[in-house]
Amino acid sequence: MSLFINLTLNGITNGMIFAAVALGLVFIWRATHIVNFSQGSMAMFTTYIAVTLLDRHINYWLVFAAALVAGLVMGGVIEVVLIRPLRGKHALNPVIVTLGLFILLEGLAGSIFGVGNRSFPPAFSQAGLTFGHSTIAFSHFDVFILAAVVILMLGTLVLFRATNMGLRMRAAAFAPEVARLLGVRVGRILTLGWALAAVAGSLAGLLVAPTVSFSPNFMDLILVYAFTAAVVGGLDSPVGALVGGLVTGLSLSYVGGYLGSSLEPLGALAILMVVLSARPEGIFSRPAPRRV
Amino acid sequence: MSAIPSVPPVPPVPPVSDPGPIPIPPTGLSRFPWLRLPRQPMLRHLLLGAVAAFGFYILTSAISSFNDFRVGEIAVYAIALAGLSLLTGTNGQISLGQGAFMAVGAYTLGVLMTHTHLPLVVDVLAAIGLSGALGLVVGMPATRLKGPYLAGMTLILALGLPRIADKYSTFFGGDQGLTVNSPTPPGTIDPQRWLSWIEIVGAIVVLILLANLTRSRFGRSFRAVRDDEIAAGLSGIHVARTKVLAFTVAASCAGLAGAFLGLSVGVVNTGEFSLTLSIYLLAGMVLGGAGSLVGAWWGAIVLVFMPGWSTSIANSFNLGSAVGANLALVVFGLVLIVVIMAAPMGIQGGIGWLGRRALSLVGGSVPAPGAPTPRQEGNEPVGSIPSIPPPAAPAAPAAPAAPARNIRAQS
Amino acid sequence: MLDVEDLSVSYGAVQALQGVTFQAREGTVTAVLGANGAGKTTLLRTVSGLVKRQSGNVSYGGVELTGLSVENIVRLGISHVPEGRGVIEELTIDENLRLGTLWQFGRQERRSVLDEIYELFPQLAQRKRRMASTLSGGERQMLAIGRALSSKPKLLLLDEPSLGLAPLVTAQIMALIQELARETRLTVVLVEQNVRSALSIAEEAVVINLGRVVIADTAVSVAADTELRHLYLGF
Repeated sequence: MSLFINLTLNGITNGMIFAAVALGLVFIWRATHIVNFSQGSMAMFTTYIAVTLLDRHINYWLVFAAALVAGLVMGGVIEVVLIRPLRGKHALNPVIVTLGLFILLEGLAGSIFGVGNRSFPPAFSQAGLTFGHSTIAFSHFDVFILAAVVILMLGTLVLFRATNMGLRMRAAAFAPEVARLLGVRVGRILTLGWALAAVAGSLAGLLVAPTVSFSPNFMDLILVYAFTAAVVGGLDSPVGALVGGLVTGLSLSYVGGYLGSSLEPLGALAILMVVLSARPEGIFSRPAPRRV
Repeated sequence: MSAIPSVPPVPPVPPVSDPGPIPIPPTGLSRFPWLRLPRQPMLRHLLLGAVAAFGFYILTSAISSFNDFRVGEIAVYAIALAGLSLLTGTNGQISLGQGAFMAVGAYTLGVLMTHTHLPLVVDVLAAIGLSGALGLVVGMPATRLKGPYLAGMTLILALGLPRIADKYSTFFGGDQGLTVNSPTPPGTIDPQRWLSWIEIVGAIVVLILLANLTRSRFGRSFRAVRDDEIAAGLSGIHVARTKVLAFTVAASCAGLAGAFLGLSVGVVNTGEFSLTLSIYLLAGMVLGGAGSLVGAWWGAIVLVFMPGWSTSIANSFNLGSAVGANLALVVFGLVLIVVIMAAPMGIQGGIGWLGRRALSLVGGSVPAPGAPTPRQEGNEPVGSIPSIPPPAAPAAPAAPAAPARNIRAQS
Repeated sequence: MLDVEDLSVSYGAVQALQGVTFQAREGTVTAVLGANGAGKTTLLRTVSGLVKRQSGNVSYGGVELTGLSVENIVRLGISHVPEGRGVIEELTIDENLRLGTLWQFGRQERRSVLDEIYELFPQLAQRKRRMASTLSGGERQMLAIGRALSSKPKLLLLDEPSLGLAPLVTAQIMALIQELARETRLTVVLVEQNVRSALSIAEEAVVINLGRVVIADTAVSVAADTELRHLYLGF
């Protein structure tokens, strides 16, 4: 029983991280109809910047903020330099470009920051919380993870529903040409979408780093699981990213706990196939009419 | 007000039909008839294959047996890239799982060699068969997936499939992997050279088969499905079957390549078949020219030599070991990005472009890349916009009253 | 004043517009008429910047529009209601209307502008918070026009506002357009298939056939020319 509880808690924590990365994927999909396969690598890169700064004993929260800002800038620059020129051309091109970016960033991180294993110090204690006699697989750091992602989600909600910028972003996503005719600078909105997506990814990177062995690949699996989460929830739905994240996190936790951790990726594959067969658009997205 | 202006008769539009038994369009080479290759695709391919085989024989005999190893490696990667090129370039299905299928082929070979005493040929055929079967299994649900979703799914496959070997490590050799014995050559031939000959012949055979496939109605179906699935379905092509066929063929090629790789390296373990391999294969394909079989060779050359080049570059600039190990990643990443953005047709496309330029200088007629050009082996790359013939062509009458009302222009 | 001079536009091999020349004066309604495929929508899309010209000039109030981005053309006071209306279904009515005001007005002004629009279209005011997908055709047209007006434009380009609307609703919309032009000195370029309605409220008319201007004259003259009407306008 306690295994089940621990797996559930573990699943929720992981699920929140997948949700954060998935949220970034959703932003980019809504803005530019691209799946950003380099989302994980971008997060990895900003986390490496963070760990380098931490090695110089700079205050953790400053470093945290710096990593988020680095993500913001990185996302914006990538959109302007790599994605915008491809607009209007063949739809597979941006996919390939993001894959190229994936390994480019991995190589750059390895070259610049060295290959040796680093460790990323956690902001809060990672010891399990105790209740009475038992310790559960949930620590202060896990609380921090939950809180951070919840704040991210709430922030997104507020941005989209209650601000003018959010209105512009939604209009640019749903009907870019009409939005332009109404004076919305759609190009800049798309850049902003990428920038915000990168921030979400950077946050996730900072949350994951203390829990894994830190190398240029550390976000690879997370990207894959976040992709699964985003597809489950619907690539165009922020709420879907959260739900999909939790579903994926919990499922994979159980698979890993009861069947063995090496089977987790195949578990994700299974989830993906089930969802794509049953409801290809994801749980929360609006089915779009097929244009013939 | 003047009388009603008479509309000049629109010249009849010539029927657009499927070019039956591959008419070869006139090119500049018509001035040099002795340079022309036979019309029949199979003969043409066999002739090219024989020439290539002869060329490789000369090459491998001339260089040392260590370098034969490299040539063999190029052949192996050419097999994998050709399959991927068919799947992604000709059929439009972007797959990141080619490395995983290579792993399947390699491990099949390794397991059979370790646990049974079947002859090598059987092991290799089993590798092809099993990876092809897996390609069939994966290809079926894949038919419903569009671009990015398919990429994502094959990405997970690439990460997840090798993990099975980790899970059942006793059977699959664990971290050490499985040892594989290279085939014993007849007589006094150097084993390395013998293996490379096997690999080269294998590659030539595969490429001949793929060339025939691309020329056939299957090839046309592949391209039709890539360009517009719905239109292809409406014209009678069984879209799902076409896609699954492409997937199976690509997976089989990868399986063979994986088996050969295992023979070359002497050991089969999961480290060889990471996600990076799959992305490198994609890069090699894009660089060589998606959809181009000749491009598979260019890509293979780059794949084999790049890691070595980048390490030596790193060393000569004293960039340190961290850079040396990672420079290949950086380069391939840049290759993918730059090629797609600047020259989506890759090397073979560039050569084709240069060739057309040269021919037009010589004075021959130049078939435009958009028109059906059977001479170029299905050279419609992933990166270029699928060619949509302009609505008013081929009639394109000169009179200003044409094109006839309401063809396509917006009101 | 909108000044179109010798404008030519092509989509690849198809010549959509060829040497089009006409003017639309301030405070008037200019009807652009012609059969399907004549090039009318292309004309509007070129003026608003969605389509790049091949040759020729478009200028408004002396400012050259060719080469400007769509967003900048909008900021010159030009509003385009596209073919099909372009109502964004995933947003509410209020959000649709607000969208047009964002680039120009601060919060206070925006409130008063929106109130004006709601006064003009009380049916919209009742359902501010509803999704635009729940609107009928006529209501969508009102929303689209209201949204175009919310940026207080000086030039309004309307692409087939009567499309899919019942005759009564069409008449209401046309009357509204005419009133707006008169009261607010708004310049209106009205592309229409419903020739009779369009000619009834227009001062000027331009007839386009196969991308060329057949005639650009007063609406009255065009309406009176029966042979022209037979040839190009279908009645």
